[in-house]
Amino acid sequence: MAPQDERKYCVKDPLLTDLAVEALGLTKYYEAFKAVDDVSLQVPTGSIYGVLGPNGAGKTTSLRMTLGIIDPDEGESRLLGGHKPQSVRHRIGYLPEERGLYPGMKAREAIAFMGALRGLDWSEGRRRAAAFMTELGLERVIDEKIRKMSKGMAQMVQLIGSIVHAPDLIVLDEPFSGLDPVNQERLETLVRRERDRGATILFSTHVMAHAERLCDRLAIIARSQRHFEGTVDEARALLPMQVRYTPRAEVGADAVAALLPADAELRGEAWHFAIDDRDVEPLLSRITASHFGVTGLSISRPALHDAFVHIVRQVDASFTADAAVEAGEEAAA
Amino acid sequence: MKAFLRNMIVVARRDFLAIVATPTFLLFLLAPLFMVGMGLAGGMGASQLADSARGAGRLVVVADQADIEDFRTADARLRTAMPREPAMLVLRVAHPATDDPVAVAREKGSDTYAVLSGPLATPRIVEREPDSSAGRYLALLAGEVLRARAAGPLPPVAAKFENLSRGGTSIAAQQSLGFGAVFVIFLLTLLLAGQTVSSLAEEKGNKVIEILAAAVPLESVFLGKLLGFLGVAVLFIAFWIMMALAGGFVAATQMDPAQIAAAGGTSKAMATLAATPAVGWPFFLGIGFAYFVLSFLLLGAVFLGVGAQAATVREIQMLSLPITIFQVAMFSLCAASASAPGSGLAAFAQIFPFSSPLAMAARAATDDAVGVHLLALGWQAIWVALVVYLSVRLFRAGVLGGRRDWRFWKRKRA
Repeated sequence: MAPQDERKYCVKDPLLTDLAVEALGLTKYYEAFKAVDDVSLQVPTGSIYGVLGPNGAGKTTSLRMTLGIIDPDEGESRLLGGHKPQSVRHRIGYLPEERGLYPGMKAREAIAFMGALRGLDWSEGRRRAAAFMTELGLERVIDEKIRKMSKGMAQMVQLIGSIVHAPDLIVLDEPFSGLDPVNQERLETLVRRERDRGATILFSTHVMAHAERLCDRLAIIARSQRHFEGTVDEARALLPMQVRYTPRAEVGADAVAALLPADAELRGEAWHFAIDDRDVEPLLSRITASHFGVTGLSISRPALHDAFVHIVRQVDASFTADAAVEAGEEAAA
Repeated sequence: MKAFLRNMIVVARRDFLAIVATPTFLLFLLAPLFMVGMGLAGGMGASQLADSARGAGRLVVVADQADIEDFRTADARLRTAMPREPAMLVLRVAHPATDDPVAVAREKGSDTYAVLSGPLATPRIVEREPDSSAGRYLALLAGEVLRARAAGPLPPVAAKFENLSRGGTSIAAQQSLGFGAVFVIFLLTLLLAGQTVSSLAEEKGNKVIEILAAAVPLESVFLGKLLGFLGVAVLFIAFWIMMALAGGFVAATQMDPAQIAAAGGTSKAMATLAATPAVGWPFFLGIGFAYFVLSFLLLGAVFLGVGAQAATVREIQMLSLPITIFQVAMFSLCAASASAPGSGLAAFAQIFPFSSPLAMAARAATDDAVGVHLLALGWQAIWVALVVYLSVRLFRAGVLGGRRDWRFWKRKRA
């Protein structure tokens, strides 16, 4: 996607002054491959911020650079009031994409260990571990070794370990993957509660439902670049309203089609089409004035899923077109 | 710094408990039964060293200029007739400033078994060991010189024998002590430090490394791991020292004291143990332990850094051979330097960081200088820090993909 396209999708918020995360121009090469290309993330303090993108888009690398786990080739990251990531490690909680725990450790000890790494006292860590696990319905495995747990349970243990020290910034990389719906719901509740406590949550996902329910703001990364930044509603507003209309009277399709936009499509008994916000009232007026009547009518914003797919497909199309042009130029040369 | 140390201890604690609180640790603890075999090999090496050092010993005759040639002739005649050839004979012309036989016997740089001085008929013979064959040979030599000059029979030589009171530990025994220190530190390091090569494989395998890298500086992870393994090593050593002491106590209560004394008087190993290191036993033991710690940390840091680069268990297994060879090379260097104190080789071994702990431990056995050990410990500690620093940089660049740290020429791209 061309730079001007990104500007089109980037919705600036003048109130973004208190930032928990400010990553600017992050770029990372793996040999010749540009895994992350000039990605910037600005996460307001106290918000839930989602980084969305298809597989291999560069989400994890971006988060790792943001946290200082790997160094960017270009760009820089400042956290929690302009500090270098290394200097505020103890105020951060991190759940990596690749889950990792010592299999021989008991759950309570594993959580206390992760807390101790961030400066939490061991005994306090054990106490909080038991409280968290009880709250999340895991009380029967508090003193169970990790190797004896299911994958989902171990994942919940690791999640608790990443927040046991009450961090100011919580970074979760694909936190919902591998969890059953019940645990996903529990995790959503936990994330909201941490936000209510005052923490900032930055998480990546490619499951739109979670992002739609949780995120105050989000960024969409595709093909190593950021292509959208804004709220969920702003993302959904990138696409026109979707209308589903079923007339009452049995009239000819041509007559109804004449009333509707040109791209209206009849599927069964219902017509489907998209309209701009400003065309909603005129449409309703036309339908009311007609003698076709209304059996069913729904006008809705597209889901975040649709906006996401739309953006990613545009990026892919642009990329393919650019590649074709480059191939043509090379052939001509 | 406080947070760094705390993080290091958290990692060390985890590693220590993860190793110690397992049934397999018992197997690990009992593995040193192999040491019996290795100990025999070490004993043979020490014995060889002692023998070679003995060959470098000497007998000294301090005589008038007129007697020197007669002594040389008599020595040539008698030497071949002896069942075991005596040590090399050094002939010195008597001089008021240099003919004190005790001072000659204590001269550094050579092992003097006996010194003869004074009139030929009533010579004074200073021996390192009482009633030694070296002293008897010198008395015989004086008699032979007199017999060659006299026309008729002569009364036997009335030699006055003296022993060195203290400080008479032979250089051979001290070199044996030095070799023993080298061998013990090498063996313990070989047994214990090599484990660090696979230390980070656990974190890489179970993906914990990213959690650690996000939470604490990698330097504290590496040092914490070294510290954890060092704790295991110290526990291991303490266990076997306790076992040895307990075994010795039981043996002492079961045996006749006279038998013990007799065994102590005849055993070569006991004789070596009865010797005193140049710096004294308390300091020697203390500095030996300090050098073990530094040797462990130095080699452990290298192994940890190398092992951290390995991607699979197979690669780690492949690394074991070069690592063992490296350790044996350091041992060989230090063993050679222990048999040649004061030589250029010894100096090199003491300065080269990875052999320095072993070579300096050997030096403590033969050289009474103390201050140099503080310097050496500081030098080795600097290298531990340097190796850990480089290991972390390599790890970040190679495994975590943060190559900016060292491939600075690739930081900027068009």
